Amino acid sequence: MIVLGIESSCDETSVAVLRESGEFETEVLSNVISSQDFHKLFGGVVPELSSRAHIQQVLPLVKEALKKAGTTLEEVEVITATAGPGLIGALLVGFMFAKSLALATKKVFIPVNHIEGHIFSGFLGGEKPEFPMLVLVVSGGHSLLLLVKSFTEFARLGTTVDDAAGEAFDKVSKLIGLGYPGGPKIQRYAERGNPLAIPFPVSELKGRYDFSFSGLKTAVLRYVEKHYPERHIPEQDLPNIAASFQYAVIRALTRSVKRALKEYRVKSVSLVGGVAANKPLREAIAEIGNNQNVRVFIPGFEFCGDNAAMIAFRGYTLYKSGYGSDFEAETFPALPEAGWGEIVNGEQ
Amino acid sequence: MTKEISKTVLTEFDTLNFAKELIPEIEAGDVIALIGDLGSGKTYFIKAFCQCLGISYVTSPTFTIVNTYTKGNNKIYHFDFYRINSLSELINTGYNDYINDPEAIVFIEWADLFKKALPGKRVEIIITMNKDHTREIKFIRRDE
Repeated sequence: MIVLGIESSCDETSVAVLRESGEFETEVLSNVISSQDFHKLFGGVVPELSSRAHIQQVLPLVKEALKKAGTTLEEVEVITATAGPGLIGALLVGFMFAKSLALATKKVFIPVNHIEGHIFSGFLGGEKPEFPMLVLVVSGGHSLLLLVKSFTEFARLGTTVDDAAGEAFDKVSKLIGLGYPGGPKIQRYAERGNPLAIPFPVSELKGRYDFSFSGLKTAVLRYVEKHYPERHIPEQDLPNIAASFQYAVIRALTRSVKRALKEYRVKSVSLVGGVAANKPLREAIAEIGNNQNVRVFIPGFEFCGDNAAMIAFRGYTLYKSGYGSDFEAETFPALPEAGWGEIVNGEQ
Repeated sequence: MTKEISKTVLTEFDTLNFAKELIPEIEAGDVIALIGDLGSGKTYFIKAFCQCLGISYVTSPTFTIVNTYTKGNNKIYHFDFYRINSLSELINTGYNDYINDPEAIVFIEWADLFKKALPGKRVEIIITMNKDHTREIKFIRRDE
């Protein structure tokens, strides 16, 4: 079975082709992204938000993805596209294109939730994670922790109550004068700094598994105001600030993961989303897995940021789980208030 | 004709109380432009305002550009101009449809980045950070 996926929920247009290689297993034949700039994958730099850009890119990208995959449209059995959440104008382009293409060529059409795409992107590497699985989704726009029991059952344990993790990197980077893209710049400066130099806070929240990054952003701002009233931070002080901030983000994220591992017996932990490209975070999650005897799955860089391979894979797993063509489906800019990954308390 | 109300706040609780005070000043169809530096509490102000309307899941739209919240008869569009590069990019998000929805209250963070895109008839929330860690929140209704 060959699956074509289209993603256009925000900045990137991306098209991927997968081939089924086993039960709920696929091989990525191609995964092309409109802007191949690695930094963009890390969350938020020079966005091209116009739906016009998506319109210009979608058809050439579909052709390129099929060509790179060494296949043709005739061979494709299932067409999938991101239905939401995302920017409505951007979503509509990829979604309507995919729907029309499926309708015209009489193929199966499966709408996909972008976040579900991220959730299962840990399956895109060589090895297959086992359920139940704890998944930490961290990107420019989303930060959430989920308990995933199967391809059709999952629950949100916690989410950010304000800024997403990737956004915190970008904003703090701007605050301390490093600019865009925040993630890689902070990581690079942090390599030469002491993470314990400045005790930035990790706030305790009502939800045990929730995160907050707005208070941390304010704490960095206060620190800068206090120590550098002129707002000029000497080059030699930047590594410690970057390292201490990064360490606070990692502490907030790993705290929730550790708490969840105490409460829920899982077989795998997966770190996904654009911020999963951050090396110290990858290492921290890997270490937790080692200590708790749980296997850790982190997708390769190309599957961390927004990409169509994860959309195609999610569409494929829904199809395999019995979901049929849905030509009535529409795009949705926001997650529903209720009815998606309901927060569970206590028992597994 | 303009109307101004200001308040100096120290804690999040103060902001919440001031937001509560402003509820009767704001109605569906209003466009509220928020102006203030990074970390001044623009998102928090909107969170506090929405909390008064029973909406508890407000997060930053910096990356998503616009969030939509609904509860009962209340509909909120929460914009952020921070990542927008040009006026045409903004228009391409469907911006005009959002701000002309008579049933919604529209909040816009970093509104001063595209002043040209703001309607003359609007509310401004200007947040200034003081040296003593207090913040001044100024509400201005403009009918130009």
